[in-house]
Amino acid sequence: MKNIFVIFKREYLTRVKNKTFIIMTFLAPLLMVGFYAATIYIATETGDDDRTKTVYVSDNNPELLLSHNPPANYVLLPAPSDSDSALAHVERGLVHGWLSVEDRDLRSVDSATYYTSETPSITEKETLKEWIRNKATQRQFARLGLREGQIDSLQSSCSLETKEVTGQGDVQETSSGLKSGIGFALAFMIYIFIFVYGSMVMRSAMEEKTNRIVEVIVSSVKPFDLMMGKILGVAAVGLTQFVAWIVLAVGLVFGISALFLNSGNGMTTQQAVQTGIEARTGMGGMGTGSGSGAAVSMGGEMSAQGAGMSSGARDMAAEFTEPLSNLPYFQILAVFLLFFVGGYLLYSSFFAAIGSAVNQESDVQQFMMPVTLPLVFGFVIAQTVALKAPHGAMAKLFSMIPLTSPIVMVVRAPFGVPFSELALSFGLLVLTFVLMVWLSSRIYRIGILSYGKKPTWKDLWKWLR
Amino acid sequence: MSKVIEAIKVCKTFGEQRVSKNIDLAVEQGSIYGLLGPNGAGKTTLIRMLSTITQPDSGEILFKGEALKESHAHQMGYMPEERGLYKKMTVADQLLFFAELRGLSTKDAKASVKHWLQRLDMMEWARKKVEEISKGMAQKVQFVSCVLHNPQLLILDEPFSGFDPVNADLIKDLIIELKNQGTSIIFSTHRMDNVESLCDHLAIIHQGEKVLDGGVSEIRRKYATGVYEVGFYQAVEWGGGMSATGESTLISEQQQSDGKVVYRFQTSDSFSPDQLLKLAMGKGNLVHFSEHVPSIHEIFVDTVSRPAEPIAGATIAGETIASKPSPMS
Repeated sequence: MKNIFVIFKREYLTRVKNKTFIIMTFLAPLLMVGFYAATIYIATETGDDDRTKTVYVSDNNPELLLSHNPPANYVLLPAPSDSDSALAHVERGLVHGWLSVEDRDLRSVDSATYYTSETPSITEKETLKEWIRNKATQRQFARLGLREGQIDSLQSSCSLETKEVTGQGDVQETSSGLKSGIGFALAFMIYIFIFVYGSMVMRSAMEEKTNRIVEVIVSSVKPFDLMMGKILGVAAVGLTQFVAWIVLAVGLVFGISALFLNSGNGMTTQQAVQTGIEARTGMGGMGTGSGSGAAVSMGGEMSAQGAGMSSGARDMAAEFTEPLSNLPYFQILAVFLLFFVGGYLLYSSFFAAIGSAVNQESDVQQFMMPVTLPLVFGFVIAQTVALKAPHGAMAKLFSMIPLTSPIVMVVRAPFGVPFSELALSFGLLVLTFVLMVWLSSRIYRIGILSYGKKPTWKDLWKWLR
Repeated sequence: MSKVIEAIKVCKTFGEQRVSKNIDLAVEQGSIYGLLGPNGAGKTTLIRMLSTITQPDSGEILFKGEALKESHAHQMGYMPEERGLYKKMTVADQLLFFAELRGLSTKDAKASVKHWLQRLDMMEWARKKVEEISKGMAQKVQFVSCVLHNPQLLILDEPFSGFDPVNADLIKDLIIELKNQGTSIIFSTHRMDNVESLCDHLAIIHQGEKVLDGGVSEIRRKYATGVYEVGFYQAVEWGGGMSATGESTLISEQQQSDGKVVYRFQTSDSFSPDQLLKLAMGKGNLVHFSEHVPSIHEIFVDTVSRPAEPIAGATIAGETIASKPSPMS
């Protein structure tokens, strides 16, 4: 036991004291927020083609089409009656394109043709299609004798509120979107962390083997202790990073709140504190659950909304506050931690065995595939099945199978999972973990002292027995 | 003297290959035991069993009279042939880690690390990472890492491989110092350079079997085959003196670079070295007369170049085989 601790201490301290670790711990959340922000900015702001395009329009009744507002960035002109010259103009670049609408009622499928000298983007195609469809609908309404105002009143909107009837007879406001978001964020965290820290364990085992340190170590430590010390040490590094991120996230929210408290913006201090607390309640929950960059960004956004303090923003904050406070935090957190640790231990024992078996980095690939496949598969299931139908049979099945349960179960957790299912799934995970650690340690024990030729699956099997 | 470690009929098989066959050995306290053998003879396998890394398939290993168990590892130091250090760790942290691994408390470990770093004039390197220090320096750190905990048994597998001559001498001095302090040392090598000067006792392992075992001087004496060397300032004529006895044979004649000539004779029961000396004294200016005792190197080459079989003078399973030594070439 003492030996496991000595190994654990070395693994933990050398990593935590490492400059890269310290920098990345502080930088990673900011990078993640920055990355998301940049993606969203690029997607919304600069993704569109902002050239102004002059396009000929020909229709059975061109005045009708042209009398309507053209789509943004388009200037519409009546097409010359002679189609050859229209095409020639397009070809010579006098106009960007020629939109020929053959059927005024637009009932047939190929009702319009767009001629251009360059292949239009999907967005451009959709914009034009939507515009024609819109105009056609309006014409149809007009034909039915409806005026513009009446048409607008026909467009009804609906917002579906969801309330959950809990066991105690309470009816609580819930938000499926919020739950999906939290579940997915947590699953993503587990997925990434298992990969990152699992391969850390693998590289550590490989380093000891290739640097020939391992023989000295196993002369005083059992290979099993060495492997466990290593796995636990790296796990502690991961948890340290979690804690650092939570502290960082909470600190960030406090910082931003403090900033807006000082600026005042004409609201009462009480209101400001209230909003700050609301923002933090949400944030705290998210932060504890995930400590993710997403949490930081969300907390940041919420505080920013608070800072703006328009009544709309406050309504929105209030709208989120109830579902947020109704989330089963304890369950989510417990499931996340238990399944993260369980999943990490399970996979990292595989990674340790691989690291001990190979002689160089390039030999890793052949063994990695079967190990990472279930992990990737679990993530795909989490993204699709579990998010769409968290209580469905498929989601239930994969949240029981130990290789996928760490990811799939956390997606289901915010939607509420019966205790019996959680207990069964976690029990299976622990059993598999114990079995796999034992099997891996058998490979590890021989792998670390086997040099020379590249090991094969057959060798691993031999070592297992 | 008491035995620190003892192996009794130890066997180990890997797959089809029998790597250790009924090996017996005993290392006395405060002695240096040389384990010789060509590459692939099974030395490392034997050493791994002695240092608790692997277990024998059959046979027994005793550490100070007790059946060997993992906790005994704390009383052993082991420097494997394939060795290395954590490149990204500082010298001091690294040594501290190894000391704690060998069971020292953090406080004792720190004291020991300080003692050894001072002893080897390396204090200023303590905070440097291993990748920042010279190779020679790293070799010293490597050696220190296995003696930090004052082991009672130090196992060194090819300790001088990869060491430069200056460091090799330094390590040699340290080994002798440790021995004088009562540490027992097992010293495995396929090179004979240091065996005669360092070892008290040696065993030759060949194809997984121990083919020879004994005290170094004892073995050399046992391998003495009655060959004597007689040297003169210049070549002499032996003439009828030799043939007259008919009992001693001139086996070689060698002219040295300084002009001296050395003759080698095989003596026998009926023609003693005394007779040879008397005969030689009348032949010319005698400068040298000595018994030719084979070097360990010669014994080693002779032993491993023949198929493994019981060798004269070798103790196998505790019984001395009483057969005549084979003539040395």
